[in-house]
Amino acid sequence: MGFIKEIMKNRQLYTLAIPGIVFLALFSYIPMFGHLIAFERFQPVKGIWGSEWVGLDNFKFFFGSQDWLRVTFNTVYLNALFLIFGIGIALLLAILINEATSTLLKKISQSLIFLPYFISWLVVSLMIMAFMSTDGLLNQWLGQLGISEVNWYQNAKLWPIILTLVYVWKFSGYYSVIFMAAIVGISNEYYESARIDGATRLQQILHITIPSIRSVIVVLLLLGVGRIFFGDFGMIYGIIGDNSILFPTTDVIDTYSFRALRQLGNFGMSSAVVLYQSIMGIAAILIFNKIAKKIDPESRLF
Amino acid sequence: MTNPSMPVTKDKPKPKMKRNKIKNDQSFGEKAFLTFTYLIIVVFSAVCVIPFWIVLADSFASEASFLKNGYQLLPSEWSLDAYIYLLQGSQLLTSYKNSLIVAIVGTLLAVAITAMFAYVIAHPRVKYRNVLAFLTYLAMVLGGGLVGFYIMIANWLHLKDSIWALILPYLMNPFYAFILVAFYKSLPYEINEAATIDGAGDIKLFFKIILPISTPVIATVSLFYAILYWNDWYLSLLFIDDHNLHPLQLMIRQLISNLNVAAYVGGGASYQVSAPSNSIQLATVCLTIGPIVLLYPFLQKYFVKGITIGAVKG
Repeated sequence: MGFIKEIMKNRQLYTLAIPGIVFLALFSYIPMFGHLIAFERFQPVKGIWGSEWVGLDNFKFFFGSQDWLRVTFNTVYLNALFLIFGIGIALLLAILINEATSTLLKKISQSLIFLPYFISWLVVSLMIMAFMSTDGLLNQWLGQLGISEVNWYQNAKLWPIILTLVYVWKFSGYYSVIFMAAIVGISNEYYESARIDGATRLQQILHITIPSIRSVIVVLLLLGVGRIFFGDFGMIYGIIGDNSILFPTTDVIDTYSFRALRQLGNFGMSSAVVLYQSIMGIAAILIFNKIAKKIDPESRLF
Repeated sequence: MTNPSMPVTKDKPKPKMKRNKIKNDQSFGEKAFLTFTYLIIVVFSAVCVIPFWIVLADSFASEASFLKNGYQLLPSEWSLDAYIYLLQGSQLLTSYKNSLIVAIVGTLLAVAITAMFAYVIAHPRVKYRNVLAFLTYLAMVLGGGLVGFYIMIANWLHLKDSIWALILPYLMNPFYAFILVAFYKSLPYEINEAATIDGAGDIKLFFKIILPISTPVIATVSLFYAILYWNDWYLSLLFIDDHNLHPLQLMIRQLISNLNVAAYVGGGASYQVSAPSNSIQLATVCLTIGPIVLLYPFLQKYFVKGITIGAVKG
C-alpha cells in the first residue's frame, strides 16, 4: 500500500524517471535472462525458452580447455598492470605539473597530456601501427642505431608491456586531472609551515601531498580492482584484432566471449564465459569493498 | 571533503607568489628537482602529441613515399591524393553523415533521459531514490552480459542494421547520471519549495527552473556523450553489416582490415589510379578526430569540471 501511495504522491517525479527505468530494464536487467543460455544449446529460432537445456555442458567445455586459465590470467594481469602504472604515472605527473612554476607550461602540458583520452581505440591502433609495423618508425630508428628489426606484431611476449605503455599514454591525462583537482584542494598552510621548518620539495610531496590525497588514490584503485575481471574490449580488440599470434598474452575474457559469439556463433559457451566473468566480478567487488572498509572506511563503495 | 579547503587556496594567491620568490634563491637540490620536473613534463607531453602529428603529416604522404620509406615524421613526398580519393568516393560522406546523426540524436536523447532520471534520484522527497540509485549502480557494475544484450537488440528489438542500434544502448550512462546527481544534490532545497508553493508541478519545475540553472553541468555531460557516440565502434561492430550505415569508426576499421579499398571507399565511383591505401587510412583518421582536436581547446575546461565532480562524489 505504501508503495502505491508513494508513487501517487510523487507521480510527476516518477514520470520523469520512466525513460531511465525503461532503459535500465531493456539494456541491463532483461538481458540478464541471457545468462540462462549458459545452460542451453541455444538456437536463435527456438529462443531462450524453447532451446534444449544441457546443464553444465557449456561450462565443462570452457573449463575443459586451457583457454579459461589463459584468458582469466591475461585479464587480471593486464588490468593489474594498467591500474598500477596508469595510476602511478598519472600521480607522478599530477604532482610534477603542480610543482612546476610556469603557468604557461602547466596549462599547455595539461592540455596535451589529456588529449589522447578523447580518441577512439581504433585511431590509437593506427597510431601504434605507425610505430610498430614492419616499416614503422620504431624499426627505422632501430635500423639507424644498427639494431636488427623487431617483428612487433609477431612477438606475443612484448605485448603486455606495449599495451601498458599505450594505456598509460591514453589515460594519464584523465587520472592526473582527478589528482590535480584533489591537490588543489590541499590547504597552502601545510606547505607554508613545512617550508618554515625547512622541508624540501620532495619531503613536502611525500609528507603532505600524497597523504592528503590518499583517499582519492584508494578510491581509484578500488574502482579498478572491482573491474579487474572485465577487460577493455575496445582497447584489446581494437589494437590486437584477430591477430591470433598475440592471443597467448593478450586474449582477455571479453575478446574471447566476443569471438565465441560473433565468429563461432556459439551462444551457449559465450554466455557461460560471461556468466563466469560476472560472478568473479561480483566476488571481486564484495571482497575488496570489505578490505576497503578496513583500511579506509571513508572510501568504501557502498 | 575538498570543498571546505577550496576557498583557502582561492582567497590567497599571495602565498603562492611568495613560494615562487623563495624558490629563486633555493639550493642546488631544489634547482635540480625543478629541472627534472620540467624535463619529465616536456618529454611526456611530446610523447602524447607526436602520434597525432604523424597521423596528420603522413596523411599527406604520397603512396610512392610510403612504399619507399614507410611511416615518417615528415613525408619525403607530399600529396593530396588520399583526400581527393576519399572525397570523390561516397563512403566518407555516408559515414560522416551516420556519425553525425548518431552523435547528435544520441546526445540529445541521452542528456534528456539522464538528466530527468538523475533529478529523481537526487530529489529528497522521492522515497525510493536509493533503490533507483542502487539499481543504476548495479547495472553499471554488472551489465547485462554480452549474449543477452546482443539477443535483446538483434532478435527482440530487431535493430540489426538499424541506426537505432547505435543510439539506444548508450542513452543512459550510469557514471554520467551520477555526475548530475551530485550536482542536483548540491542545489538548495528551497528551490523546490518555492516553486511548489507557486503551484507548479514537479515536471514543470524541472524544465522551467532546474534545467536552465544546470546548463554548465548539462554542457559537460553532453560533451561526454558526444565523445562516447562519436568514438564508439563496438555497437557498429556488433550490429551493423550494411556499409551504408557504417559510422566513421567502422570505416576506419574496414580500411585497416583492407579488403578492397577502391570498392569500399568509392561506392560506385570509378578511379583512374589505384588507391593510396596507407594514406587513406590516415586521412580518414584525421577527418574523424579533426572535430575533436579542433574543438578541444575550447571544451577542455568542461571535461575537467565533469571529471572532477564525478571523482569527488563517486
